[in-house]
Amino acid sequence: MSTAGGIIRALNSGIKHLAIRRFTLRYPEQKLKFVGDGFQFNPETGVGIAGLRGRHILYHEHCTGCQLCSVACEGIAEAIGMVKVNETWKQNKKAIMPQIDYGKCVFCGLCVDACPFYALYMTNDYELSSFTKSALIYTPAQLAIKPKISQDVEIKIDDRGATHG
Amino acid sequence: MTTQLPPGIQLEKIDDRIMTLNVGPQHPGSGHMRLIIKVDGDYIVSCDPDPGYVHRGEEKMAEYRNYIQNVPHLERPVIHDSSNILYPYCLAVEELLGIEVPERAKYVRVIAAELNRCIYTLYWLAIYGIFLGHSTMFMWPAGDRELFIDLLEAMSGARVTHAYLVPGGVRNDLPANFEERCLRQVDYFEKRLKEYQAVFYKNPILISRTEGTGILSRTDAIRLGTTGSVLRASGVNFDIRKKEPYDVYENLDFETVVMKEGDSYARSYVPYLEMFESCRIIRDAIRKMPKSGSVRTKLKPNPKGGNEEVYKRVESGRGALGYYVVSNNRPEPYRVKISVGSFRNLICMPYLLKGELLGNMPAVYWSLNYWPVEADR
Ligand code: SF4
Ligand code: SF4
Repeated sequence: MSTAGGIIRALNSGIKHLAIRRFTLRYPEQKLKFVGDGFQFNPETGVGIAGLRGRHILYHEHCTGCQLCSVACEGIAEAIGMVKVNETWKQNKKAIMPQIDYGKCVFCGLCVDACPFYALYMTNDYELSSFTKSALIYTPAQLAIKPKISQDVEIKIDDRGATHG
Repeated sequence: MTTQLPPGIQLEKIDDRIMTLNVGPQHPGSGHMRLIIKVDGDYIVSCDPDPGYVHRGEEKMAEYRNYIQNVPHLERPVIHDSSNILYPYCLAVEELLGIEVPERAKYVRVIAAELNRCIYTLYWLAIYGIFLGHSTMFMWPAGDRELFIDLLEAMSGARVTHAYLVPGGVRNDLPANFEERCLRQVDYFEKRLKEYQAVFYKNPILISRTEGTGILSRTDAIRLGTTGSVLRASGVNFDIRKKEPYDVYENLDFETVVMKEGDSYARSYVPYLEMFESCRIIRDAIRKMPKSGSVRTKLKPNPKGGNEEVYKRVESGRGALGYYVVSNNRPEPYRVKISVGSFRNLICMPYLLKGELLGNMPAVYWSLNYWPVEADR
Protein backbone atom coordinates (compact mmCIF):
# COMPACT_ATOMS: atom_id res chain seq x y z
CA MET A 1 0.00 0.00 0.00
CA SER A 2 1.38 3.36 -0.98
CA THR A 3 1.94 5.99 1.68
CA ALA A 4 -0.29 8.55 -0.01
CA GLY A 5 -3.06 5.98 -0.45
CA GLY A 6 -2.86 5.04 3.20
CA ILE A 7 -3.07 8.60 4.36
CA ILE A 8 -6.04 9.29 2.09
CA ARG A 9 -7.80 6.20 3.40
CA ALA A 10 -7.14 7.31 6.98
CA LEU A 11 -8.47 10.81 6.29
CA ASN A 12 -11.45 9.38 4.47
CA SER A 13 -12.29 7.19 7.43
CA GLY A 14 -12.20 10.25 9.66
CA ILE A 15 -14.27 12.38 7.25
CA LYS A 16 -17.04 9.76 7.25
CA HIS A 17 -17.51 10.66 10.88
CA LEU A 18 -18.84 14.07 9.94
CA ALA A 19 -22.03 12.27 8.93
CA ILE A 20 -22.21 10.12 12.04
CA ARG A 21 -24.21 11.41 14.96
CA ARG A 22 -22.44 12.58 18.07
CA PHE A 23 -21.96 9.98 20.79
CA THR A 24 -21.03 12.39 23.58
CA LEU A 25 -23.35 12.58 26.55
CA ARG A 26 -24.32 16.22 27.07
CA TYR A 27 -24.13 16.23 30.83
CA PRO A 28 -25.70 18.01 32.78
CA GLU A 29 -28.51 18.63 30.28
CA GLN A 30 -28.68 14.89 29.73
CA LYS A 31 -28.31 12.30 32.45
CA LEU A 32 -27.83 8.59 32.03
CA LYS A 33 -30.61 6.28 33.02
CA PHE A 34 -29.59 3.56 35.42
CA VAL A 35 -30.90 0.13 36.15
CA GLY A 36 -33.27 0.05 39.16
CA ASP A 37 -33.32 2.36 42.16
CA GLY A 38 -29.76 1.84 43.25
CA PHE A 39 -27.80 -1.03 44.68
CA GLN A 40 -29.71 -3.09 47.22
CA PHE A 41 -28.92 -6.22 49.12
CA ASN A 42 -30.97 -9.17 50.24
CA PRO A 43 -29.45 -10.49 53.47
CA GLU A 44 -31.45 -13.70 53.25
CA THR A 45 -29.89 -14.95 50.04
CA GLY A 46 -26.69 -12.97 50.48
CA VAL A 47 -26.92 -11.61 46.94
CA GLY A 48 -27.26 -7.99 45.92
CA ILE A 49 -29.71 -6.43 43.49
CA ALA A 50 -28.15 -4.56 40.58
CA GLY A 51 -28.28 -0.79 40.65
CA LEU A 52 -26.09 2.26 40.73
CA ARG A 53 -23.97 2.66 43.81
CA GLY A 54 -24.63 6.31 44.55
CA ARG A 55 -25.51 8.02 47.78
CA HIS A 56 -27.03 5.83 50.53
CA ILE A 57 -30.56 5.80 51.78
CA LEU A 58 -31.32 4.91 55.38
CA TYR A 59 -34.70 3.58 56.46
CA HIS A 60 -35.04 4.78 60.02
CA GLU A 61 -37.92 2.42 60.72
CA HIS A 62 -35.66 -0.60 60.06
CA CYS A 63 -32.33 0.50 61.51
CA THR A 64 -31.53 -1.18 64.81
CA GLY A 65 -28.32 0.67 65.56
CA CYS A 66 -26.40 -2.60 65.38
CA GLN A 67 -23.31 -0.81 63.95
CA LEU A 68 -22.54 -3.63 61.52
CA CYS A 69 -22.36 -1.15 58.64
CA SER A 70 -19.87 0.96 60.56
CA VAL A 71 -17.77 -2.13 61.37
CA ALA A 72 -17.80 -3.15 57.70
CA CYS A 73 -16.52 0.24 56.64
CA GLU A 74 -13.79 0.33 59.27
CA GLY A 75 -11.18 -1.30 57.10
CA ILE A 76 -12.34 0.35 53.91
CA ALA A 77 -12.82 4.09 54.28
CA GLU A 78 -13.95 4.69 57.86
CA ALA A 79 -16.71 6.83 56.43
CA ILE A 80 -19.48 5.69 58.75
CA GLY A 81 -19.84 7.03 62.27
CA MET A 82 -22.69 6.16 64.59
CA VAL A 83 -24.51 9.21 65.95
CA LYS A 84 -27.33 9.78 68.42
CA VAL A 85 -30.72 10.59 66.94
CA ASN A 86 -33.66 12.30 68.61
CA GLU A 87 -36.13 9.66 67.59
CA THR A 88 -37.66 6.76 69.43
CA TRP A 89 -37.95 3.51 67.60
CA LYS A 90 -38.66 0.36 69.48
CA GLN A 91 -36.12 -1.63 67.50
CA ASN A 92 -33.43 0.97 68.15
CA LYS A 93 -33.03 1.22 71.94
CA LYS A 94 -29.71 3.04 71.86
CA ALA A 95 -31.09 5.55 69.33
CA ILE A 96 -27.95 5.53 67.21
CA MET A 97 -27.84 5.53 63.44
CA PRO A 98 -25.11 5.76 60.82
CA GLN A 99 -23.83 9.08 59.56
CA ILE A 100 -21.80 8.91 56.35
CA ASP A 101 -18.92 11.15 55.36
CA TYR A 102 -18.90 11.33 51.57
CA GLY A 103 -15.47 12.92 51.66
CA LYS A 104 -14.19 9.46 52.55
CA CYS A 105 -16.72 6.99 51.11
CA VAL A 106 -15.53 5.06 48.06
CA PHE A 107 -19.01 3.82 47.12
CA CYS A 108 -18.09 0.17 47.36
CA GLY A 109 -21.44 -0.73 48.89
CA LEU A 110 -19.99 -3.26 51.33
CA CYS A 111 -21.88 -1.54 54.18
CA VAL A 112 -25.09 -2.35 52.31
CA ASP A 113 -23.95 -5.98 52.14
CA ALA A 114 -23.34 -5.89 55.89
CA CYS A 115 -26.72 -4.55 57.01
CA PRO A 116 -28.91 -7.49 58.03
CA PHE A 117 -32.12 -5.46 58.60
CA TYR A 118 -32.93 -4.01 55.14
CA ALA A 119 -32.15 -0.55 56.51
CA LEU A 120 -29.30 0.70 54.34
CA TYR A 121 -29.40 0.78 50.54
CA MET A 122 -27.87 2.94 47.86
CA THR A 123 -29.57 5.30 45.44
CA ASN A 124 -29.07 6.71 41.96
CA ASP A 125 -27.97 10.08 43.34
CA TYR A 126 -24.34 10.74 42.46
CA GLU A 127 -24.24 14.55 42.43
CA LEU A 128 -22.82 15.13 45.87
CA SER A 129 -20.25 17.86 45.34
CA SER A 130 -20.24 20.75 47.77
CA PHE A 131 -18.16 23.78 48.63
CA THR A 132 -17.36 22.72 52.17
CA LYS A 133 -16.10 19.48 53.62
CA SER A 134 -18.66 19.56 56.40
CA ALA A 135 -21.50 19.57 53.89
CA LEU A 136 -20.29 16.17 52.70
CA ILE A 137 -21.16 14.62 56.04
CA TYR A 138 -24.71 13.30 55.72
CA THR A 139 -26.62 12.93 58.97
CA PRO A 140 -29.17 10.13 59.43
CA ALA A 141 -31.94 12.64 58.70
CA GLN A 142 -30.34 13.63 55.38
CA LEU A 143 -29.74 10.00 54.49
CA ALA A 144 -33.45 9.23 54.94
CA ILE A 145 -34.49 11.58 52.12
CA LYS A 146 -35.30 9.90 48.83
CA PRO A 147 -33.37 11.69 46.08
CA LYS A 148 -35.26 13.39 43.27
CA ILE A 149 -33.73 12.33 40.01
CA SER A 150 -34.52 12.79 36.36
CA GLN A 151 -32.29 10.43 34.46
CA ASP A 152 -33.61 9.21 31.14
CA VAL A 153 -30.85 9.04 28.55
CA GLU A 154 -29.70 5.64 27.28
CA ILE A 155 -27.25 4.48 24.65
CA LYS A 156 -29.16 3.99 21.38
CA ILE A 157 -27.69 2.10 18.47
CA ASP A 158 -28.89 2.37 14.88
CA ASP A 159 -27.39 2.30 11.39
CA ARG A 160 -25.90 5.74 11.78
CA GLY A 161 -24.00 4.80 14.88
CA ALA A 162 -24.53 4.99 18.61
CA THR A 163 -25.89 8.03 20.41
CA HIS A 164 -26.97 9.07 23.83
CA GLY A 165 -30.58 10.02 23.46
CA MET B 1 35.25 23.19 41.08
CA THR B 2 35.63 21.42 44.36
CA THR B 3 32.36 22.37 45.99
CA GLN B 4 30.67 19.45 47.67
CA LEU B 5 27.54 18.47 45.82
CA PRO B 6 24.51 17.21 47.72
CA PRO B 7 24.16 13.42 47.58
CA GLY B 8 22.45 12.12 44.48
CA ILE B 9 23.36 15.12 42.32
CA GLN B 10 26.03 14.79 39.65
CA LEU B 11 27.44 17.33 37.25
CA GLU B 12 28.29 16.52 33.69
CA LYS B 13 31.38 17.86 32.02
CA ILE B 14 30.65 20.25 29.23
CA ASP B 15 32.64 18.30 26.65
CA ASP B 16 30.96 14.98 27.43
CA ARG B 17 29.23 13.44 24.44
CA ILE B 18 26.74 11.67 26.63
CA MET B 19 23.95 13.62 28.22
CA THR B 20 21.62 12.35 30.94
CA LEU B 21 17.95 13.14 30.62
CA ASN B 22 15.35 12.64 33.28
CA VAL B 23 12.12 11.78 31.56
CA GLY B 24 9.71 12.36 34.37
CA PRO B 25 8.77 11.81 37.13
CA GLN B 26 5.73 12.64 35.14
CA HIS B 27 2.24 11.36 34.69
CA PRO B 28 2.02 9.90 31.21
CA GLY B 29 -1.67 9.23 31.48
CA SER B 30 -1.35 6.43 33.95
CA GLY B 31 0.65 7.29 37.06
CA HIS B 32 4.03 8.74 37.81
CA MET B 33 7.26 7.16 36.68
CA ARG B 34 10.70 8.23 35.62
CA LEU B 35 13.14 7.10 32.96
CA ILE B 36 16.77 8.05 33.29
CA ILE B 37 17.95 8.14 29.72
CA LYS B 38 21.49 8.73 28.50
CA VAL B 39 21.67 10.09 24.98
CA ASP B 40 24.42 10.53 22.46
CA GLY B 41 23.00 13.11 20.09
CA ASP B 42 19.61 11.77 19.14
CA TYR B 43 20.34 8.16 20.03
CA ILE B 44 19.66 6.50 23.35
CA VAL B 45 22.74 4.90 24.87
CA SER B 46 21.14 3.53 27.98
CA CYS B 47 17.85 3.71 29.78
CA ASP B 48 17.25 3.08 33.44
CA PRO B 49 13.60 2.90 34.43
CA ASP B 50 12.91 4.20 37.91
CA PRO B 51 9.53 3.01 39.19
CA GLY B 52 8.19 3.44 42.70
CA TYR B 53 6.62 6.89 42.74
CA VAL B 54 3.12 5.56 43.26
CA HIS B 55 3.84 2.83 45.78
CA ARG B 56 0.78 2.53 47.99
CA GLY B 57 1.63 -0.39 50.21
CA GLU B 58 -1.28 -2.49 48.97
CA GLU B 59 0.34 -5.70 50.15
CA LYS B 60 0.87 -4.42 53.67
CA MET B 61 -2.62 -2.95 53.82
CA ALA B 62 -4.06 -6.32 52.92
CA GLU B 63 -2.63 -7.81 56.13
CA TYR B 64 -4.83 -5.60 58.31
CA ARG B 65 -8.17 -6.14 56.62
CA ASN B 66 -10.36 -9.18 56.45
CA TYR B 67 -10.87 -11.10 53.24
CA ILE B 68 -13.89 -9.07 52.14
CA GLN B 69 -12.66 -5.65 53.24
CA ASN B 70 -9.63 -6.19 51.06
CA VAL B 71 -11.74 -6.09 47.93
CA PRO B 72 -12.15 -2.32 47.42
CA HIS B 73 -8.53 -1.38 47.97
CA LEU B 74 -6.95 -4.22 46.02
CA GLU B 75 -8.53 -3.01 42.80
CA ARG B 76 -7.01 0.45 43.16
CA PRO B 77 -3.70 -0.26 41.38
CA VAL B 78 -5.48 -0.58 38.01
CA ILE B 79 -8.89 0.92 38.31
CA HIS B 80 -9.43 0.48 34.57
CA ASP B 81 -8.99 -3.27 34.89
CA SER B 82 -10.52 -3.67 38.31
CA SER B 83 -12.21 -7.01 37.65
CA ASN B 84 -9.06 -8.67 36.42
CA ILE B 85 -6.91 -7.46 39.27
CA LEU B 86 -9.41 -8.85 41.77
CA TYR B 87 -9.91 -12.10 39.91
CA PRO B 88 -6.83 -14.01 41.16
CA TYR B 89 -7.40 -12.70 44.68
CA CYS B 90 -10.91 -14.15 44.63
CA LEU B 91 -9.67 -17.45 43.18
CA ALA B 92 -6.95 -17.70 45.82
CA VAL B 93 -9.22 -16.84 48.75
CA GLU B 94 -11.85 -19.27 47.50
CA GLU B 95 -9.30 -22.05 47.59
CA LEU B 96 -7.99 -21.00 51.02
CA LEU B 97 -11.42 -20.83 52.58
CA GLY B 98 -12.83 -23.77 50.65
CA ILE B 99 -15.63 -21.81 48.97
CA GLU B 100 -17.61 -23.33 46.10
CA VAL B 101 -18.57 -20.79 43.45
CA PRO B 102 -21.97 -21.20 41.73
CA GLU B 103 -21.77 -22.04 38.03
CA ARG B 104 -23.61 -18.91 36.92
CA ALA B 105 -21.27 -16.72 38.94
CA LYS B 106 -18.30 -18.16 37.05
CA TYR B 107 -19.78 -17.06 33.74
CA VAL B 108 -20.75 -13.65 35.09
CA ARG B 109 -17.20 -13.22 36.32
CA VAL B 110 -15.79 -14.09 32.91
CA ILE B 111 -18.10 -11.57 31.25
CA ALA B 112 -17.09 -8.88 33.73
CA ALA B 113 -13.41 -9.69 33.27
CA GLU B 114 -13.63 -9.54 29.47
CA LEU B 115 -15.60 -6.29 29.47
CA ASN B 116 -13.02 -4.88 31.79
CA ARG B 117 -10.16 -6.08 29.63
CA CYS B 118 -11.67 -4.17 26.71
CA ILE B 119 -12.09 -1.06 28.86
CA TYR B 120 -8.47 -1.28 29.85
CA THR B 121 -7.22 -1.94 26.33
CA LEU B 122 -9.24 0.94 24.91
CA TYR B 123 -7.85 3.29 27.51
CA TRP B 124 -4.37 2.06 26.77
CA LEU B 125 -4.96 2.49 23.04
CA ALA B 126 -6.25 6.02 23.56
CA ILE B 127 -3.08 6.93 25.41
CA TYR B 128 -0.99 5.22 22.75
CA GLY B 129 -2.69 7.35 20.14
CA ILE B 130 -2.02 10.59 21.96
CA PHE B 131 1.57 9.52 22.71
CA LEU B 132 2.13 9.35 18.98
CA GLY B 133 0.32 12.63 18.41
CA HIS B 134 -2.72 10.97 16.84
CA SER B 135 -5.56 12.76 18.61
CA THR B 136 -8.33 11.00 16.66
CA MET B 137 -7.07 7.75 18.09
CA PHE B 138 -7.40 9.29 21.51
CA MET B 139 -11.01 10.34 21.00
CA TRP B 140 -12.35 7.19 19.37
CA PRO B 141 -11.31 4.57 21.93
CA ALA B 142 -12.10 6.95 24.79
CA GLY B 143 -15.60 7.33 23.36
CA ASP B 144 -16.19 3.69 22.53
CA ARG B 145 -15.03 2.74 25.98
CA GLU B 146 -18.28 4.24 27.17
CA LEU B 147 -20.16 1.29 25.65
CA PHE B 148 -18.41 -1.12 28.00
CA ILE B 149 -18.41 1.22 30.97
CA ASP B 150 -22.16 1.46 30.51
CA LEU B 151 -22.47 -2.33 30.56
CA LEU B 152 -20.32 -2.78 33.63
CA GLU B 153 -22.17 0.04 35.32
CA ALA B 154 -25.43 -1.80 34.76
CA MET B 155 -23.84 -4.98 36.09
CA SER B 156 -21.98 -3.68 39.09
CA GLY B 157 -23.33 -0.23 39.85
CA ALA B 158 -20.05 1.64 39.51
CA ARG B 159 -18.42 3.14 36.48
CA VAL B 160 -14.76 2.49 37.18
CA THR B 161 -14.04 0.92 40.55
CA HIS B 162 -16.49 -1.92 40.41
CA ALA B 163 -15.67 -4.02 43.49
CA TYR B 164 -17.84 -6.58 41.71
CA LEU B 165 -15.92 -9.81 42.08
CA VAL B 166 -15.76 -11.08 45.64
CA PRO B 167 -14.59 -14.37 47.11
CA GLY B 168 -17.61 -16.60 46.59
CA GLY B 169 -18.88 -15.18 43.32
CA VAL B 170 -20.08 -11.72 42.35
CA ARG B 171 -21.87 -9.06 44.36
CA ASN B 172 -25.16 -9.08 42.50
CA ASP B 173 -26.91 -10.83 39.66
CA LEU B 174 -27.18 -9.37 36.18
CA PRO B 175 -29.99 -6.86 35.73
CA ALA B 176 -33.01 -7.73 33.57
CA ASN B 177 -32.40 -7.64 29.80
CA PHE B 178 -28.70 -7.36 30.33
CA GLU B 179 -27.90 -10.10 27.82
CA GLU B 180 -29.61 -8.34 24.90
CA ARG B 181 -28.13 -4.98 25.79
CA CYS B 182 -24.69 -6.52 26.11
CA LEU B 183 -24.90 -8.34 22.77
CA ARG B 184 -26.17 -5.23 21.00
CA GLN B 185 -23.39 -3.04 22.31
CA VAL B 186 -20.68 -5.66 21.77
CA ASP B 187 -21.81 -6.16 18.15
CA TYR B 188 -21.74 -2.43 17.54
CA PHE B 189 -18.36 -2.16 19.19
CA GLU B 190 -16.89 -4.79 16.88
CA LYS B 191 -18.08 -2.76 13.91
CA ARG B 192 -16.44 0.32 15.34
CA LEU B 193 -13.28 -1.58 16.10
CA LYS B 194 -12.86 -2.43 12.43
CA GLU B 195 -12.86 1.28 11.62
CA TYR B 196 -9.72 1.70 13.73
CA GLN B 197 -7.83 -0.18 11.03
CA ALA B 198 -7.83 2.51 8.34
CA VAL B 199 -7.37 5.43 10.65
CA PHE B 200 -4.67 3.97 12.87
CA TYR B 201 -3.27 0.53 12.22
CA LYS B 202 -3.03 0.86 8.43
CA ASN B 203 -1.99 4.49 8.70
CA PRO B 204 1.46 4.86 7.08
CA ILE B 205 2.47 7.43 9.69
CA LEU B 206 1.89 5.01 12.54
CA ILE B 207 3.59 2.22 10.66
CA SER B 208 6.67 4.34 9.99
CA ARG B 209 6.95 5.22 13.65
CA THR B 210 6.41 1.80 15.14
CA GLU B 211 7.43 -0.83 12.62
CA GLY B 212 10.91 -2.12 13.30
CA THR B 213 11.40 -0.08 16.48
CA GLY B 214 12.18 -1.74 19.77
CA ILE B 215 12.41 -5.29 18.46
CA LEU B 216 12.19 -7.95 21.15
CA SER B 217 13.18 -11.36 19.87
CA ARG B 218 11.42 -14.54 20.92
CA THR B 219 14.35 -15.79 22.98
CA ASP B 220 14.82 -12.42 24.67
CA ALA B 221 11.12 -12.22 25.48
CA ILE B 222 11.32 -15.58 27.23
CA ARG B 223 14.68 -14.87 28.85
CA LEU B 224 13.55 -11.55 30.29
CA GLY B 225 10.38 -13.11 31.64
CA THR B 226 7.93 -10.81 29.89
CA THR B 227 4.26 -11.66 29.84
CA GLY B 228 0.99 -10.78 28.20
CA SER B 229 0.73 -9.00 24.90
CA VAL B 230 4.47 -8.27 24.86
CA LEU B 231 5.25 -11.97 24.98
CA ARG B 232 2.62 -12.86 22.39
CA ALA B 233 3.81 -10.11 20.05
CA SER B 234 7.23 -11.80 20.10
CA GLY B 235 5.82 -15.06 18.82
CA VAL B 236 5.26 -16.99 22.03
CA ASN B 237 1.89 -18.64 22.26
CA PHE B 238 1.21 -18.14 25.94
CA ASP B 239 -2.08 -17.09 27.42
CA ILE B 240 -3.07 -18.15 30.93
CA ARG B 241 -6.69 -18.36 29.83
CA LYS B 242 -5.60 -21.20 27.53
CA LYS B 243 -2.65 -22.71 29.37
CA GLU B 244 -4.06 -22.78 32.90
CA PRO B 245 -7.77 -22.15 32.38
CA TYR B 246 -9.54 -20.80 35.43
CA ASP B 247 -13.28 -20.68 36.08
CA VAL B 248 -15.02 -21.48 32.78
CA TYR B 249 -12.47 -20.37 30.21
CA GLU B 250 -11.91 -23.94 29.07
CA ASN B 251 -15.54 -24.17 27.90
CA LEU B 252 -15.32 -20.99 25.88
CA ASP B 253 -14.36 -20.59 22.31
CA PHE B 254 -11.52 -18.18 21.58
CA GLU B 255 -8.06 -18.04 20.16
CA THR B 256 -4.74 -16.70 21.34
CA VAL B 257 -3.43 -13.89 19.19
CA VAL B 258 0.25 -14.32 18.36
CA MET B 259 2.47 -12.20 16.12
CA LYS B 260 6.05 -12.93 15.19
CA GLU B 261 7.56 -9.50 14.58
CA GLY B 262 8.19 -8.43 18.17
CA ASP B 263 8.35 -4.73 17.31
CA SER B 264 6.30 -1.85 18.71
CA TYR B 265 3.76 -2.27 15.94
CA ALA B 266 3.12 -5.91 16.83
CA ARG B 267 2.91 -5.03 20.49
CA SER B 268 0.29 -2.41 19.76
CA TYR B 269 -1.60 -4.66 17.33
CA VAL B 270 -1.92 -7.73 19.57
CA PRO B 271 -4.10 -6.04 22.24
CA TYR B 272 -6.27 -4.66 19.45
CA LEU B 273 -6.84 -8.11 17.96
CA GLU B 274 -7.46 -9.49 21.42
CA MET B 275 -10.41 -7.17 21.80
CA PHE B 276 -12.12 -9.13 19.00
CA GLU B 277 -11.42 -12.33 20.94
CA SER B 278 -12.84 -10.72 24.09
CA CYS B 279 -16.02 -9.92 22.18
CA ARG B 280 -16.15 -13.56 21.09
CA ILE B 281 -15.73 -14.75 24.67
CA ILE B 282 -18.48 -12.44 25.91
CA ARG B 283 -20.87 -13.69 23.24
CA ASP B 284 -20.01 -17.30 23.91
CA ALA B 285 -20.30 -16.88 27.68
CA ILE B 286 -23.73 -15.29 27.37
CA ARG B 287 -24.85 -18.22 25.22
CA LYS B 288 -23.50 -20.91 27.53
CA MET B 289 -24.36 -19.26 30.84
CA PRO B 290 -26.97 -20.99 33.04
CA LYS B 291 -30.05 -18.81 32.77
CA SER B 292 -30.77 -18.77 36.49
CA GLY B 293 -29.24 -19.74 39.76
CA SER B 294 -27.37 -18.15 42.58
CA VAL B 295 -24.37 -15.94 41.86
CA ARG B 296 -22.83 -15.71 45.29
CA THR B 297 -22.08 -18.24 47.97
CA LYS B 298 -23.09 -16.97 51.37
CA LEU B 299 -20.06 -16.79 53.63
CA LYS B 300 -19.88 -16.82 57.39
CA PRO B 301 -19.17 -13.39 58.82
CA ASN B 302 -15.41 -12.90 59.12
CA PRO B 303 -14.38 -16.18 57.46
CA LYS B 304 -11.02 -17.60 58.55
CA GLY B 305 -8.53 -19.50 56.46
CA GLY B 306 -6.47 -22.43 57.70
CA ASN B 307 -2.70 -22.58 57.81
CA GLU B 308 -2.26 -22.63 54.06
CA GLU B 309 -0.87 -20.77 51.13
CA VAL B 310 -2.20 -20.47 47.61
CA TYR B 311 -0.94 -18.99 44.37
CA LYS B 312 -3.39 -18.18 41.60
CA ARG B 313 -2.90 -16.28 38.42
CA VAL B 314 -5.04 -14.97 35.61
CA GLU B 315 -4.49 -13.24 32.30
CA SER B 316 -5.06 -9.53 32.81
CA GLY B 317 -4.90 -6.76 30.27
CA ARG B 318 -1.17 -6.53 30.95
CA GLY B 319 -0.27 -10.19 31.18
CA ALA B 320 -0.08 -12.75 33.94
CA LEU B 321 -1.36 -11.37 37.22
CA GLY B 322 -0.82 -13.55 40.26
CA TYR B 323 -1.71 -13.43 43.92
CA TYR B 324 0.12 -15.38 46.55
CA VAL B 325 -2.06 -15.45 49.66
CA VAL B 326 -0.98 -16.97 52.98
CA SER B 327 -3.47 -17.47 55.79
CA ASN B 328 -2.84 -18.33 59.41
CA ASN B 329 -6.16 -19.11 61.13
CA ARG B 330 -7.15 -15.48 61.35
CA PRO B 331 -9.81 -13.48 59.53
CA GLU B 332 -7.06 -11.43 57.89
CA PRO B 333 -4.55 -12.89 55.46
CA TYR B 334 -1.04 -13.31 56.83
CA ARG B 335 0.57 -12.17 53.61
CA VAL B 336 -0.67 -11.09 50.20
CA LYS B 337 1.91 -10.87 47.45
CA ILE B 338 0.80 -9.42 44.16
CA SER B 339 2.80 -10.31 41.09
CA VAL B 340 1.84 -8.01 38.24
CA GLY B 341 2.41 -8.05 34.51
CA SER B 342 3.46 -4.41 34.26
CA PHE B 343 6.49 -4.88 36.42
CA ARG B 344 7.63 -7.88 34.41
CA ASN B 345 7.42 -5.99 31.16
CA LEU B 346 9.28 -2.99 32.51
CA ILE B 347 12.49 -4.98 32.51
CA CYS B 348 12.63 -4.90 28.70
CA MET B 349 12.94 -1.12 28.60
CA PRO B 350 16.75 -0.93 28.87
CA TYR B 351 17.09 -3.61 26.19
CA LEU B 352 14.59 -2.19 23.75
CA LEU B 353 15.58 1.44 23.96
CA LYS B 354 19.32 0.96 23.51
CA GLY B 355 20.29 2.43 20.14
CA GLU B 356 16.79 3.74 19.47
CA LEU B 357 16.03 7.34 18.50
CA LEU B 358 14.90 9.44 21.44
CA GLY B 359 11.78 10.34 19.46
CA ASN B 360 10.78 6.68 19.35
CA MET B 361 10.85 6.39 23.11
CA PRO B 362 7.10 7.01 23.68
CA ALA B 363 6.17 4.52 20.97
CA VAL B 364 8.30 1.82 22.57
CA TYR B 365 7.49 2.70 26.16
CA TRP B 366 3.73 2.61 25.84
CA SER B 367 3.72 -0.45 23.60
CA LEU B 368 5.01 -2.40 26.61
CA ASN B 369 1.57 -2.17 28.17
CA TYR B 370 3.12 -0.81 31.31
CA TRP B 371 0.97 0.66 34.04
CA PRO B 372 3.11 2.46 36.65
CA VAL B 373 0.58 2.30 39.45
CA GLU B 374 0.16 -1.42 39.07
CA ALA B 375 3.90 -2.01 38.91
CA ASP B 376 4.39 -0.11 42.17
CA ARG B 377 1.35 -1.62 43.90
S1 SF4 C 1 -19.99 2.40 50.44
FE1 SF4 C 1 -18.06 1.50 51.19
S2 SF4 C 1 -16.82 3.26 51.74
FE2 SF4 C 1 -18.92 4.03 51.54
S3 SF4 C 1 -19.75 3.96 53.59
FE3 SF4 C 1 -20.26 2.00 52.62
S4 SF4 C 1 -18.59 0.59 53.17
FE4 SF4 C 1 -17.90 2.67 53.59
S1 SF4 D 1 -27.98 0.63 58.91
FE1 SF4 D 1 -28.17 -1.58 59.16
S2 SF4 D 1 -26.12 -2.26 59.78
FE2 SF4 D 1 -26.18 -0.05 60.06
S3 SF4 D 1 -26.76 0.23 62.21
FE3 SF4 D 1 -28.67 0.31 61.01
S4 SF4 D 1 -29.42 -1.80 61.01
FE4 SF4 D 1 -27.27 -1.90 61.68
